[in-house]
Parts: sequence; structure tokens; C-alpha cells
Amino acid sequence: MLINYEFNEDKIQSPLQYTWSIFKRNNIAIAAMWVAIILVMIVIFAGYILPNTPTTQVKQLLLPPYWIDGGVSDHFLGTDDLGRDTLTRLIQGIQLTLGGALLLTLIVSILGTIIGATAALTKGLKASILHHFLDALLIIPTLLSALILIAIFGPSYENCLIAVSLSLLPQFIRAIYINIENELNKQYIIALRLDGAANIRLLRFGIFPNILESMVSLLNRIFSLAILEISTLGFLGFGTQFWDVELGALIASSIGLIFSSPWLVLFPGIAIFIIVLVFNVFTEGLRHAVIEGEDE
Amino acid sequence: MQTLLNVSNLCKNYKRSARFLSSGFRAPLGPISFTLGAGQTLSIIGESGSGKSTLVQIIAGLISPSSGDISIKGQPLCSLSQQERCRAIRMVFQDPSSSLNPKVTIGRILTAPLELNTDFNKQQIKEQIQETLALVGLLTDYLDFYPNMLSTVQQHQVALARAMILNPDIIIADEILATLDISLRFKIVNLLLNIQENKGTSYIFVGHNMNLVRHMSDQVIVMNNGLIVENNNTAEIFNTPQTDYTKHLLLSHQPDYRK
Repeated sequence: MLINYEFNEDKIQSPLQYTWSIFKRNNIAIAAMWVAIILVMIVIFAGYILPNTPTTQVKQLLLPPYWIDGGVSDHFLGTDDLGRDTLTRLIQGIQLTLGGALLLTLIVSILGTIIGATAALTKGLKASILHHFLDALLIIPTLLSALILIAIFGPSYENCLIAVSLSLLPQFIRAIYINIENELNKQYIIALRLDGAANIRLLRFGIFPNILESMVSLLNRIFSLAILEISTLGFLGFGTQFWDVELGALIASSIGLIFSSPWLVLFPGIAIFIIVLVFNVFTEGLRHAVIEGEDE
Repeated sequence: MQTLLNVSNLCKNYKRSARFLSSGFRAPLGPISFTLGAGQTLSIIGESGSGKSTLVQIIAGLISPSSGDISIKGQPLCSLSQQERCRAIRMVFQDPSSSLNPKVTIGRILTAPLELNTDFNKQQIKEQIQETLALVGLLTDYLDFYPNMLSTVQQHQVALARAMILNPDIIIADEILATLDISLRFKIVNLLLNIQENKGTSYIFVGHNMNLVRHMSDQVIVMNNGLIVENNNTAEIFNTPQTDYTKHLLLSHQPDYRK
């Protein structure tokens, strides 16, 4: 962890700074991080950068993208069968899918951490009930439980987010629970406990800094699953109403036009692909940096 | 000699686990009774599985006993608050590389017990840390370091500083010298003896190296199957062992160079 600058000055880096300095050496991960930041920016500022309103219809139906013969520069990615601008709808789709997945990951991680930490730090009946109850929930595939929940709540975008987060929550709690449980047997945690540290302090200084690696990969898994499930539900028609354009729903609505104008299906597909790829490369780089930093 | 620690009829029974097909069976501990004087060193020896570690963990407060009393300076341990207990008994772990949190600086590791167990202000905390570091022979430069940047001996010194920082009456050391090689081991041994001379701290050792036990301790407890086989001063144990078990134990731990 000692780094040496040109003149003999030694500086002590904290573990996080050290991890960051390792991460900076990985060019592909840095590129992925910037793309991810741009995508998040698009999500946040989608309202300001939309070229048209998503529901405006023009006379020219099924226009191809700008660079193909017959394309118009007003509609960069063309229009769909009702004359709506594809680029506008794509940006809105990214906003709903990616924004939803990010929000959902945040909520699931906060709720899951609270419940998982409580379960790991309590003993006896409460912990046992939670443990076996979650085990039982884990046998249901997440997409199936999301579908069941949607069937109960009724299809809408908000209900879709709620259903997906509820279906992903058990996985997250379980993983956090196991990680904290393993960590609790380490000697430095026992030593901290003998110092008289309360649970909050134990978590903050003892446990969480040491389970960073599994937290990163866990968040990545939850996020990728969330993206795929939101778009799957959208594709199946459970996720959104017709005025919300979510990436899966965009593909589903133009699947019939795949021979006449394939780009209507192509662009949302590419968007999903890029989102999942970029975030995976980014978090994988981060995870490797954390592992390498711990090996030192 | 003033009695510091008094353990009487200490027992630890393990319930047979109610779970189906459970293979967890552990031998019970006790009843165990002994006393320890102020400024004295007590060593606990015995074969593995004889309950040495369980005993010291009960005294340290990691495991709660099933029955029996532990009292320190005449006060029962269960009547003390967590803070008073921390200030009375501290534990040093076997391997400092795993008992120091790798993600936290030495300064923070040493500040934590003071923050949690005393009402010192920042200045007092700083002074106490400096004093303790001087006691274990470390420079204050190390406060900004992380544990993995230190050598094994320095890690041992930090672990010892963490135990000494509250000026405890008793320090429990669970085979702390096993991971060090011979020259470094004696550095720590001399450090421990110096501290005892300066501060009058009592030690409870779990030992495996008989020569070291003989060198350091005033009193030796021999344990077998969770019971005390022999409890006597060091010279008596090593010169005239009363039981066959003790004799075999001492024979099986010949000096290293003969092996």
C-alpha cells in the first residue's frame, strides 16, 4: 500500500484509495465505467435531451434510420408504425428500464442489508425462522415469483418494479446473511466485540469493509437480473401500460414489423445488451481491483 | 499475596443439539476452581481438546458458563458492567495477523477500546496511546499504518498494545507465541515480563512449549478432559509431578533441539 512518487516521499493509502489505484490501471473497466456514467446521465437528464415528445406522431411512418436511403435527419433512428420518433422512445425506454433497475438495486440492497444484518446478528428462533423462510422462498425462480406478484398487483410499471424487487430480495438477504455470518467468526470481529463494540460499530468498521468483494459481485448480479426481469416482464406485456415505453415493451410492440423495419427491434435489443455488458465489465473490474488489493 | 481472580466450581455443559442427525457432541468442562494472585503468571497446559481454550474464553467473556462463579478482586464478574469487565480482563489472540482488522489503521484499532470503555477526551486518548506504544516498544509513526504493512513481531506488539491500553488487571494469552520463530519469540517474552514488572499485570497463558511455560509462569494448571488434574507452583509441577498424565505431558514435550 506504500506508493512512492518521483522524489522519495512515501504516502500511505487507505484500502479504498489503493483499490482505486489498481482499478485505474484496467483500461477496459475504466472505459466501461465512463459508458456507465453516460448511461446514468441519460437516465437522469432524459427529460431535457429528448429530441421529440414520445407520443407525437408524424405523417412519415416506418422511416429507416438517418444513414439508410430514405432516412430523414429530423428522425435520427427513424420512426415506428405510428410515426413516433424511435430515438425519443429509445431514450425513454433506457430511462425506464435502467433507471428502474438502478432504483430497484438501491432499494433491494438497503432493505436486504438491514434484514440480512439483523438476521445474522440475532440468534435463536428469530434467526432460524428467517433462515428457513428465505430458504423456502429461494426455490421459486425469481421470474416466476415476479409474474405471480404481478398477477396479484395488476400490471403497471410501478407494480413491475415492486414485484421484481420482492422477487430479488430473498437472494440478496441470503447472500448478505452468509457473508456476515462468515465474517462474525473472524478473530478481529471477536476482538472488536471484546472491546465492547455494539452491533452498529461492528458492522461499520469490522464487517462491511471486509466483505466489499462479495458485495460488489452481489450488487452486479442483482442489477443484471433486475434489467433482464424488467425487460422480460415488459416484453410479456405485464410490465408497462401502452404509454410507458420500456425496452422490453418496445421490442414486443414492433416484433410484428421485424421484416419491414428490423431496426425497431434491433435498437432496444442493442440497448439492453450494452447496458448489461457495460455494467458487468465495470463491476468485474472493480471486483478484481478489490481482490488484488486484499491480496497485498 | 493478594488474590486477584477467584474461579470456583466453573462448569460449561453443552446441550445435545436437538437437530436431527446432529453429530455435534462436545465434552463438558468442569467443575473447575482455582485462584490467581496479583502480578502472578498462570499457565494452563494440557493436550488438545482438554478444555484449555474453553476455560480462557469463559474467563474472557466470549462464552458464558453454565454454572459457577468468577470473581475479580472479590467482586463477581457477572455484577460488573461490560466496561468494567473490559478494563479488568483483556485477551490477546493467537495470531495477530487475523486478530487485527486489515481495513483499519493501527491508530483506529488502538482508539476503539478507549472510546468504548473510557470517557477520555481526545487529548487523553492520544496521551494514553503514546504511553502504551512506548510500553510495547513501538514508534507513534505506526499509527497511520495498516496491519498488513507491519512485520509479525510488530503485529504482536500492536495486539499487546491493544490489550494493555486499558491498563487491565489480567491479560489472557491464548498460545500467542506459537507463530513466532525462536529469536522473535524471546523478544515478545521479554516484553511481556517487562510489562509485568512495570505494571504488575497478571497473565493467564495457554501454553504448549514446556520450557517457555517453566520460564514464564509462577503457577501451572494441568488439564485433561475438562478437569484440572494438577494445580501447583511451577517448580513443584516440573520437579515432582504427582500424576502420570502430567509426567507423560512433560515427557512428550522435549526441548526442540532433541527432535
